[in-house]
Order: sequence, then structure tokens, then C-alpha cells
Amino acid sequence: MTGNVQMPDLKNTSSKGSKILGVSSLVGFAVLVVLAFFLTDPDIRFHPETGEEFGQFDAVRLLYIHVPLISVTYLAFVICAIASAGYLIRRTLWWDSLAHSSAEVGTLTCALVLATGSIWGRPVWNTWWEWGDVRIMSTLILFLMFLGYLALRRAFESPQRAARPAAVVALIAVLDIPLINRSVEWWGNRTLHQKSTLSEFKIEDLTLFTLMFGILISLLVMTWLILHRFRIAWLEHIEFEQGVQTAIEERRQIDTKEKQR
Amino acid sequence: MEELTPRQDRIQKKNSRLLPKLAGALLLIAVAIVLFKTLGNASLFFYPVDEAVEKRVELQDRRFRVIGVPQPGLVETALGGVQVIVFTLCEGDIYADVAHEGDPAELFNPGVPVVLQGAWIENDPPALDKLLNPANDGWHIKTDSMVVKHDNDYRADRAELESCDSG
Repeated sequence: MTGNVQMPDLKNTSSKGSKILGVSSLVGFAVLVVLAFFLTDPDIRFHPETGEEFGQFDAVRLLYIHVPLISVTYLAFVICAIASAGYLIRRTLWWDSLAHSSAEVGTLTCALVLATGSIWGRPVWNTWWEWGDVRIMSTLILFLMFLGYLALRRAFESPQRAARPAAVVALIAVLDIPLINRSVEWWGNRTLHQKSTLSEFKIEDLTLFTLMFGILISLLVMTWLILHRFRIAWLEHIEFEQGVQTAIEERRQIDTKEKQR
Repeated sequence: MEELTPRQDRIQKKNSRLLPKLAGALLLIAVAIVLFKTLGNASLFFYPVDEAVEKRVELQDRRFRVIGVPQPGLVETALGGVQVIVFTLCEGDIYADVAHEGDPAELFNPGVPVVLQGAWIENDPPALDKLLNPANDGWHIKTDSMVVKHDNDYRADRAELESCDSG
């Protein structure tokens, strides 16, 4: 797959561009924390009949993290699926490394989506977990499928042997995303998750800006993570190829010595 | 002897791959459990109030989940020595009286949809006369589990509460 390759002389996996991206992500994330946890208002409404306060209160702040995370989770898994299709067509290390990297990052963000959603659900829904919610369950299935994908990649001695079945798994797993996204419409009044806020324009002003800013920063962080993971995956392939070449070379030397005897 | 050494390595490497395979198998089982738990248990899905009322005879004393909008006029009282909150749930112009046992959800409020779990009881709820607009049909749902279905509106000054047509 890689041919005769040489391990580049690297001290780390960063470059000038990735350093700029990393710093931008870090600064952006700090700004997001200030916006989400200090500058935006808590969700407090007044009941028109009882006059009592109700709403999500401070729990709403978690949505500035939760919603951007699910956005980048979708994107990471879609990149993984596109890269997997690219690998099945072109059979190159570049596509395979991209698929593997984006799957790892997507699985991480998906775990964070489930965790932040659960923390938000306790005060707002009155439950940590809802087995009857189609969106939660289909997201859990997505997470488990990509955990399986990552386990599959480690189940083979040779990364090349793992690439093809993993690509097929990724292409199947990604079909869950439309189900997750549309479940609140398809199941409507039979599922706990609320419908889309953005598509119905039920958000505005600083709340909308913070959410959009959160999505932008999450995109930067995701890109930075995938970039570094891609470079590590590339180096891992090179190391494996070198290991194979060294083993072949050693075997040849042993054979030559035996023939000389 | 030198030739056997790499082969021994390979055997060890194959054994070291057992863990990911095992993890993969366990994940497949986990996915199957999740699918079974989600799709296999019909009680996890919610009946809107109108459907719960329509299927009252069919449901008998089986537990089910119902979603609806609590109406103004929540009454705290006791039922069989247990503290309950009595209110009327609606969906469109169909109403059902409810006696909920235990603490209500933090965000429980008239106009905010809730999902309740319980069973039909063929008699009036306690303190029926104190409810503002009861179903008053000789039945009530006795529930013990409540989750709140939050709306998708984040415009603080424009968010509206759900209401039902007056029955």
C-alpha cells in the first residue's frame, strides 16, 4: 500500500498551520466558555397563569457545548464514510488514514454528546437516560458501531487487512445519522427529544450567536484533532511497513548465511 | 531455531489481537441489547392522551406511557396514605385526569408537556371537585414516573406554553 517508505525525522506531528489552528481553537474555546457560562442569560420564563419562574435555568448553557458536539460528530463520521468509500475505490493509505482518524475523533465527540446530553437531561427532563427516546438510542447505536469499527481496526495484525472490512462497517454505520437527525420529526410526539430549534428559527440574538460560535469552534477543534491523528496514523503505517521490510531483510540475511554454510 | 523465533512472535501477536475481537463481539451484543430494549418494549413509546383514552379498555390495568399537557389547577392531596398531585392532562380536546404519586419533575408546570408512566384506574381521582377543568369520566391514570418534554423554543420572551382546546 505504501511501497518503499522512510520514517520522516519528526519531533512531533505539528506544523506551522496546525499550530495556528490549535491556538485559534484554544482561544476560541475560552471565548465560548465565557459566552456560554457568563454572558448569555439563563433560560427563565414566567408562567402566564401562575407567575412562577420556569424554564431550563442554567442547564441551558450545556446546549452551547452539546449541540456543536453532535454537529461535529455527524461531520466526522460523514468524513469517515467518504474516506472509506475513497479507500474502497482507490486503495490508498491516505484515504484509509483519513477514515481511521475521523472515526476516532467522531467516536470521542459522540461519547461527549451522550455524556453532556445525560447531564442536561437530569434537571430538564428529570432523567439521566431515556430508553424510549429514539434520538438517544440511535446515537448510542452509532457510538457502539464506531467503537466496533475501532475494535475491528485493532483486531488484525496488519493495518492493510483491517482497512477493507472497516471501510464497509463505516459505510453501514453512517446510515444511522439520517435516522438520528430526523427521528424527532418522524416520531414526533412519541419521543422525548425536542424538535430542531435552528430549522424553526426559535433562537435569536446572543443565544444564536453563541450556538453558532460553538459550532465554529468545535469545527476547528475537530479539524485540529483529525489533522494530528491523521499524521499519527500515517506514521504508524510507515512504522509497520518498515517493520515488515526489516523482518524480510533479516530473513533474507538468515537464508543467505545458511546457504553459505 | 532462528527461523522459529519470528513465528513464535507471530503467535503471540495473534493472541494479543484476541482482546479487540472480544471487544467487537461484546459491542455487537450491546447493539443487539439496545435494539431489543428500544424496539422490543412497546411500553417505551408514548401514547398521546387521545390515544390512551381511546385504548383504555384494551390497555386494562397494563402500565403504559402517556404524553400530554398538564392543565392549570394542580391539586396536592393524599391517596391511600400516599402524597399525590392531581391534575388534568390533555391533547387537543381530549382530557384525562391523573393522580401522580411521588415528587413531580423540577420543571413540571401547567402548559409544559410531560411523559407519565402508570395505568388506568376505573374511578375518579381524589379531589376531583378541586380541578379546574377535569375530564370527569369516571377514570384516572395513576402514575409514578414523570419526565418533562421540553420545547425547542429558546426565545425567552416569545416562548409560548402549550394549551388545549377547552373541552
